[in-house]
Amino acid sequence: MVARDRLEQLRGKFGSAIQRVDLPGDSRLFVFVEPSVVKNICQYIFRDLDARYVISIGIDDRPFSGNFMVAHNFAFDEDHLLCSVLTYLPSNNPKIDSISDVVPAANWAEREMRDLVGIEPVGHRYLKRLVLPDGWPEGEHPLRKDFSWDHVPKEFNDEREFTFDEPPEGCTVVPFGPFHPTLDEPAHFRLYVEGEMVRGCEYRGFMAHRGIEKMAESVLGYNDIPMLAERICGICGCVHSVAYVQAVESAVALKPPPRAEYIRTIMLEIERLHSHLLWVGLACHIVGFDTLFMQSFRIREPIMWIAEKISGNRKTYALCVIGGVRWDITPVLKSELRQVLDKLEAEWREVVAAVSKDKNIQKRTVGVGLTNRDLVKNAGLVGPVARAAGVDIDCRRDHPYAAYDRVEFDVITAGGGDVWSRLLVRMSEVFESIRIIRQCLERMDDGPLQSPVDGELPVGRMGLSSVEAPRGESHHFVITGENNRPRRWRVRAPTYQNLQAVPMMIKDQQIADMTISLGSIDPCFSCTDRLETIDLRSGATRVWSQRELLELARAKEVRR
Amino acid sequence: MSHGVISALLGGVLNVGLVLLLAPLCQGVLRKVTARVQSRQGPPIWQPYFDLLKLLGKEDIESGESPGMQRFAACLSLATVLSIPCLVPMGFAAPMNDVADVYLLIYLLALCGVCTLLAGLAAGSTYSLVGISREMMSIIVLEPLFAIALLVGALHTRSFRLDTVLNGSVYATDGFPWSGLIMLGVILLSFQAFVQRVPFDISEAETELMEGPLMEYSGPKLALLKYAQMAKLVIYSALFVGLFVPWGSGEPFPWNCLVFAMKVFALVLLVTLVAATHARYRIDQAIRYFAFLLSIAFVALVLASYGH
Amino acid sequence: MSVSSKLKETLVCLKAGRVTLPYPAQARPVPEKFRGRPIFDVTKCTGCAGCANNCPAREILVFDICQEIRVLEYSGLRCTYCGRCADLCPEKAITLSHDFETGTDSIHDNQQRLEIFMSTCQRCGRCFEEPSALEELKMKGYRLDDLANDRWVFRSRSYLEGEPAVEDIPIEMD
Repeated sequence: MVARDRLEQLRGKFGSAIQRVDLPGDSRLFVFVEPSVVKNICQYIFRDLDARYVISIGIDDRPFSGNFMVAHNFAFDEDHLLCSVLTYLPSNNPKIDSISDVVPAANWAEREMRDLVGIEPVGHRYLKRLVLPDGWPEGEHPLRKDFSWDHVPKEFNDEREFTFDEPPEGCTVVPFGPFHPTLDEPAHFRLYVEGEMVRGCEYRGFMAHRGIEKMAESVLGYNDIPMLAERICGICGCVHSVAYVQAVESAVALKPPPRAEYIRTIMLEIERLHSHLLWVGLACHIVGFDTLFMQSFRIREPIMWIAEKISGNRKTYALCVIGGVRWDITPVLKSELRQVLDKLEAEWREVVAAVSKDKNIQKRTVGVGLTNRDLVKNAGLVGPVARAAGVDIDCRRDHPYAAYDRVEFDVITAGGGDVWSRLLVRMSEVFESIRIIRQCLERMDDGPLQSPVDGELPVGRMGLSSVEAPRGESHHFVITGENNRPRRWRVRAPTYQNLQAVPMMIKDQQIADMTISLGSIDPCFSCTDRLETIDLRSGATRVWSQRELLELARAKEVRR
Repeated sequence: MSHGVISALLGGVLNVGLVLLLAPLCQGVLRKVTARVQSRQGPPIWQPYFDLLKLLGKEDIESGESPGMQRFAACLSLATVLSIPCLVPMGFAAPMNDVADVYLLIYLLALCGVCTLLAGLAAGSTYSLVGISREMMSIIVLEPLFAIALLVGALHTRSFRLDTVLNGSVYATDGFPWSGLIMLGVILLSFQAFVQRVPFDISEAETELMEGPLMEYSGPKLALLKYAQMAKLVIYSALFVGLFVPWGSGEPFPWNCLVFAMKVFALVLLVTLVAATHARYRIDQAIRYFAFLLSIAFVALVLASYGH
Repeated sequence: MSVSSKLKETLVCLKAGRVTLPYPAQARPVPEKFRGRPIFDVTKCTGCAGCANNCPAREILVFDICQEIRVLEYSGLRCTYCGRCADLCPEKAITLSHDFETGTDSIHDNQQRLEIFMSTCQRCGRCFEEPSALEELKMKGYRLDDLANDRWVFRSRSYLEGEPAVEDIPIEMD
């Protein structure tokens, strides 16, 4: 009953300020508190209880409770617990204390809250636009319930130019993106370069907004959203659709049948296989080694074919509905999948044996893009980036979902914290994925593919779900609602946290290492951006000076 | 005009024509072999011809800081590279044997590098400037290597004449040709950099610098620059063959041409295989590597001046 | 220079041979379950609009143009090829074909429009579902040997040359 223990700890310290608690099970905890203690509770949870920061969410709950809501989500990885600290804010004055000086990783989440819902984080040091362009008028907040999903404010100025910071002394500015051969998606890193060394960087992103959350809350239904969710990302589609349906299932206490859980697990691991193989190829391409890029893709192709045979498409599997899955894995497909895995494993072992001794690649990747445990904790890094710095976190083991509690696998870590370590971690995770799929194929129960859903889903329930995407933890938060659609759906992709640490990784490194450092977090800008309907080409979002980020990342204990 | 001048001019034109004809073919072979190593089909070996024709047919767009200088740089680049075959024996004797010598060859080789700098500077964009700064660093440590190889040959044969130096002169010692073999090793290890291929194509790294100095070039200007690059492969191979692998070039026509062509193709294949199996180095790693090779080359030069 | 690992890598490459397929010179076969462009079958559709209600991209529109004719339009613009329409159709009138080469310069190539005849009850005038396809045919009057059902037979106005119009059967547009 570890959730209860944690609750008792919180009660012991903040007893009177806790208004209400929801304890749906052992692995989820929702604590409703007064706005004035939010910062202290978050500091206690993050620093004293050593939880991991996940995301902060702003919610417009005015049609239902008359208030705004803010949720700060944390994860207790060893206790297998996902916890959410919620608070109600009055609708005429949505202000809350910012937690970004005690939890540096909350920086972007609070600025997004301000841009999109209009909740003001008081005390945040760098209140500049994150998500909305500079030409967007003040006071118009797209995720508010009174803002229609297809509305464009009249005062929107799409011609407004971005104002950049002045570069520091002696540095030239090298613009990296939004158009660049190695950058698959648009993002802008404005590098301050002295000779060949990068001294700092300014990041502007969120150019790939598509209004996903707003659409899900306004026009789509529960079973339409998985089709949308799997298009959030170009590689980890299954992850987002599984995370969403799991969040809803957790909110309404609906359990899918065991066979469906095994199938979800198999498809998730297939996705991890093709993502990691793609990434290894891409990393080699970035350092100029096109041959290994081609070979990785050649080895990866049979996985795409088997995915197409199982689900009908190479990447967008259209797999999940609330309560189950749509495609079955027949015995014929099972034996074919086993053959594909055997061949893949044999070929990949050869490649790993060759690459791990290759000094030529090591020269380009060892010591590049360094992170350490402090940066992982403060910036909330997840996935192979964290595991390559020696931090042992993995949602499949820490917050088990689907059939991961019924299979055995190892979590791979490495110590170097550089690009080479991330390469090794991802290459080894391929073998673990193969192992998981083989176990699932053996242990899969027979049975139905979908649990029946009787009538409408209950309204107003909250669900949290963390799924281990190939890039890290993908976390979804859902509040169920009326008219067959959720009231609020928040997607936190792993790249959202990992990107915040890129300026740290590229500082004092050479400009030639910029691309491989960025590539090593396996960035998925589409996952990160997701958020606004209007995507006009305008100026800016915000300034993000590297010095500021350094301060944030170094800020440790603050006043209690 | 005397008979010698006419034959020199004709020979020069013939050599230049040969290079113009063969260079895209070598590039095509390089791309095809690379593709086969990468398990794919690859373009037909005539593809570079089509590429050049297509580029030449495009509109000449003016982009970059000083378009006039860009045009001049593109033309100068190809012109410089094409002036070198007049000095190099390609199966036959070097055409301009009597009017040029090894010094001119060294200067022309250096001028090729400077043309790239000019091209990048004329374009003026950030990435091209970063690219030419890399190119400048490379030129300082790289060009001397070939110059030293030629000097070693000149020292051994006590002559600066092209036909003597470019005829295996590095081995022309009485005893064991130490300096010759050392220079052979040095040039082999740095050959990829001269012909601008992986692992040393740093100044034009596509994935890092968006083509570097070539960035603001398109259409006919790009065709000229690309042609110059392709020609460099053939010319450096011819120089290498002349200096280090001269056997078989004394045969009567047509055998000497065939042998020469085979040797050049063998070298192109070697370049391809090395390019296909390596990752690109960073500029500081490359400079350290070349500096190391340069110090060995100086040792070879000292040995050559003592007759070894 | 790690020559041995380079040699191993080269060995990996050369063992594989050439793996690229000569598409589009040769057609690429697709697996059985491939989800391509949906094809709507007008002979089976009953106009229930279950597909339209559940299409995530809101691609299918079902509307009536008169009391007896319901139109189903599939616009092909944002279709995600998810296959929910095919899963839900009670008559199995929608199949996801293997057609994935849907690039065209005219959107009409991808659009499908079905006109479904909804037979109306002669007493109350509302639509109902026919028990079988044969009964439907009778409704449309394609079986001339069933003239006993003369109240339900409709004949078009395009006469053959020289043939008189038949007066005693009420004529309606098909």
